[in-house]
Amino acid sequence: MNPRSPICRMLSAAAALFAFAPVSAFAQAVPAAAKVATATPARARTADGQPNLEGVWSTASVTPLERPKDLGAKEFFTKEEAEAYEKKTLAVHEVAAPGTYGDVHYSMAQFGLEKGQSQVAASIRTSLIVGPEGRIPPMIPEAQQRNAARAAANKGHEFDGPENRSLGEQCIMWPNEGPPIQPAGYNSNLQIVQGPGYVAILQEMIHDVRVIPTDGSPHLAANIRQWFGDSRGHWEGDTLVVDTTNFTGRTAFRGSSENLHVVERFTRQADDRILYQFTVEDPATWTKSWSGEMPMTKIDGPIFEYACHEGNYGMRNNLSGARAEEKAAQAAGK
Amino acid sequence: MRIKVLIAIAAFSIASPSVWAHHSFAAEFDPTKPVKLKGTVTQMEWINPHSWIHMDVKNPDGTVTNWMIEGGSPNALLRRGFTKNSLPVGSEIVVEGYQAKDSSNRANGRDLTFADGTKLFLGSTGTGGPDDKPEK
Repeated sequence: MNPRSPICRMLSAAAALFAFAPVSAFAQAVPAAAKVATATPARARTADGQPNLEGVWSTASVTPLERPKDLGAKEFFTKEEAEAYEKKTLAVHEVAAPGTYGDVHYSMAQFGLEKGQSQVAASIRTSLIVGPEGRIPPMIPEAQQRNAARAAANKGHEFDGPENRSLGEQCIMWPNEGPPIQPAGYNSNLQIVQGPGYVAILQEMIHDVRVIPTDGSPHLAANIRQWFGDSRGHWEGDTLVVDTTNFTGRTAFRGSSENLHVVERFTRQADDRILYQFTVEDPATWTKSWSGEMPMTKIDGPIFEYACHEGNYGMRNNLSGARAEEKAAQAAGK
Repeated sequence: MRIKVLIAIAAFSIASPSVWAHHSFAAEFDPTKPVKLKGTVTQMEWINPHSWIHMDVKNPDGTVTNWMIEGGSPNALLRRGFTKNSLPVGSEIVVEGYQAKDSSNRANGRDLTFADGTKLFLGSTGTGGPDDKPEK
């Protein structure tokens, strides 16, 4: 039997980033289970005795990062509710009236980017964020001001040049890469490779490798800041625990500061499943820490190269489009 | 201007209202310039972040214009079994989409069909998705 639960479906909108759809194997769905059972079978060991996380994994999910408000404190669906939710989510198709901005894009379905065209692990969770609230806690006032000031500084300059565009458009980093790792809109795949003293995570989107020492070495000096922070791992039983600090303030995960601190836990629950858990804290941004979890499901490889800037005509076209609009506005003003 | 600001916000949140894409399509193409192009493929660029199909389109006056059509990430097409040979040079295709805002001969591939109406990139199997046809 192939327990992989195929699904997929590109979600729409904001959901695209953090939402996807689970599927069939609801029987396998694992509830909250934080600090879960770490009973790694003997088979799952690397040659040097580490718990084996190696393989190509899909992080696609239909579960949104934040729980829809109408679900209140309901953290889990019943099996039946989860199936209904899945069905409803999968029923969402591209709908946009001709001649509207929503209609201006390539065909998602024809390019294999639609829902139902990739694999997703089943889950009965109503949100990736665990706990009764299921949502990112409020920002402290200083963080709200910091983010507002950043947005204000770019306002009116969004298309001045490449540096005004999002980190994703600049091919610097995508928010799915983490830490914490999040489902990507498409190609939501990663590969884990282990060697003595290291675990490496290659994310297909957008082609970055996080090399995580597990040799007990300390974090980098506090004055060294990196887009993906500095990750250090260790094993707690059969769970890989990864601690990441030393972010740049510009990484701004969900509006975070450079004080962002992320702890991730990877636990191999079955041949075809890793439970991925994360806790995010940043007292300079949120009123309290928050945690989430999602299953990763094993898929056939390989990971394909996503050379983000290889043919990034889109950047040029966005900027030339803005110049054309400016000229037209100038001409109209004369 | 107001629209531009909204677009930028969408770009910063890295999520658009209905489509996940690498960049802002709304900033690149003009919804008031729909195009329907019929012509022959001269090249397909299997490149990231987006694939691009080049095609020659014969104009009413007999001249020929080379258009570039933006498509999705090639990674997903590769997973569905498509290769560099799937869309050979000389294929006759019809593309519906919207022209670039700067009025250059570029458009998005909103709907892509061969001359006989069949979809360019449908019919593959093997992704494991529920919409797939059975592999055997």
